[in-house]
Amino acid sequence: MTRFLCIACEVFARPIYLSAAFSTHVVDVELIQRGLHNQPDKLQAGIQDHIDHAEGRGYQAILLGYGLCGNGTAGLHARSIKLVLPRLHDCIALLLGDPLRYQEQFDQNPGTYWYSQDFLERTDDINTFTTMGPISDTELAKKYEVFLEKYGKENADYLMEVMGAWQTHYKRAAFIDMGLANVDKSKKRVQLGAKHRGWMFETLVGDLVLFRQLLNGEWSQNDASNFIVVPPNHSVGLTYDECIFRCDPL
Amino acid sequence: MEDLIQGIYTAVVNGNASGVKQKIQAALDNGVPVEELLNKGLIAAMKEVGQLFEEGEYFVPEMLISARAMQSGMVILRPILVEQDIKPIGKVVIGTVKGDLHDIGKNLVSMMLEGAGFQIVDLGTDVAPEKFLEAINTHQPDIVGMSALLTTTMTNIEKTLRYFEENEVRNGFKVIIGGAPVTQKYADEIGADGFAPDASQAAVVSKHLMGVA
Repeated sequence: MTRFLCIACEVFARPIYLSAAFSTHVVDVELIQRGLHNQPDKLQAGIQDHIDHAEGRGYQAILLGYGLCGNGTAGLHARSIKLVLPRLHDCIALLLGDPLRYQEQFDQNPGTYWYSQDFLERTDDINTFTTMGPISDTELAKKYEVFLEKYGKENADYLMEVMGAWQTHYKRAAFIDMGLANVDKSKKRVQLGAKHRGWMFETLVGDLVLFRQLLNGEWSQNDASNFIVVPPNHSVGLTYDECIFRCDPL
Repeated sequence: MEDLIQGIYTAVVNGNASGVKQKIQAALDNGVPVEELLNKGLIAAMKEVGQLFEEGEYFVPEMLISARAMQSGMVILRPILVEQDIKPIGKVVIGTVKGDLHDIGKNLVSMMLEGAGFQIVDLGTDVAPEKFLEAINTHQPDIVGMSALLTTTMTNIEKTLRYFEENEVRNGFKVIIGGAPVTQKYADEIGADGFAPDASQAAVVSKHLMGVA
């Protein structure tokens, strides 16, 4: 019997658990907290730690539920097991099921902030997420207090303006519905947040196909496929083009 | 005179924009040469700010408010510099590449470069290769700066570079690149002349590319 270990970001909790349950193989799942997304160096170390622990435990492959993630997966390696990961930039492409579909969305609406149910639920402080964006309003208000004390009102106002400037470039909140559970509550939160910021709101239907392929072992050694298979004693290298990944010998 | 310049220097390092404006005006009224104010006041102060950042004494907020203070002084000096035909150490055309809307880092780089004595032509965000080319033809820059925050848009840095080559303008200037996912390795692979991991280094690298210490 084939045994896989799937190490994935917790924003994929439901799609991964479901695909593991339906997989034709035995798949153990380890989820890593999503907060690491903002710190690619820590993300790399965190995933590597999980890989190191998996060596010698009888798995035929380690499946990574990650994309390039801000270069956070570059350099990952295993000594005795192969690593498999989808050739994608980030979680949005995986949830949409097709990198080309993501590219189309990106080209049409680059100023889109993306949400999913697991993404919204998996946060350290759920209440701060009634507002949206990389920094919550509560956090921003706290920062303002510190700036005010340190640099005076004029400079504090200026810093707030600079740090909030990203919002002016964003125009749309897109919610990806994977169809796995009732999403009404999550969706409503994003809708409210979008209204608050004056953004357009849209729901897109996700696609589980890449999760299913990854966890069913439907990946080939062919470089043109949706996945890259990194043999033992090789690391995840970068091609800086649409292939995204390559295998570098250790 | 030295006191007046020292006052400007200190006000920039402390991020005191209104102080800089007042002191520059006072120095000009007292006949201090504009070049002295620029070099020993604003530029020297921003160099110190860059050093404090490198040493971990200053962080991005301090750098931002110092840069703003420097800019408030530049607003007064700029027309006088033009009038007296005092040239910047180089001209930089800068922008975030096509598809990328994130400009906090790029803006900070622009300010640090201005604080290092460069003239900046900021094209903003989501700048298509054609728009870069147009600005290059119009402004004849010494350096072109490109940035990207996302790995999805980072590849447009290379595409823009290739577009410069296709249009046979690439040899006319140096290219410096940066942004969260950008690395020295990437810069080497695509043939960019310089890479900087932060805004302070961007000023150092740009000066180096211009052959200025």
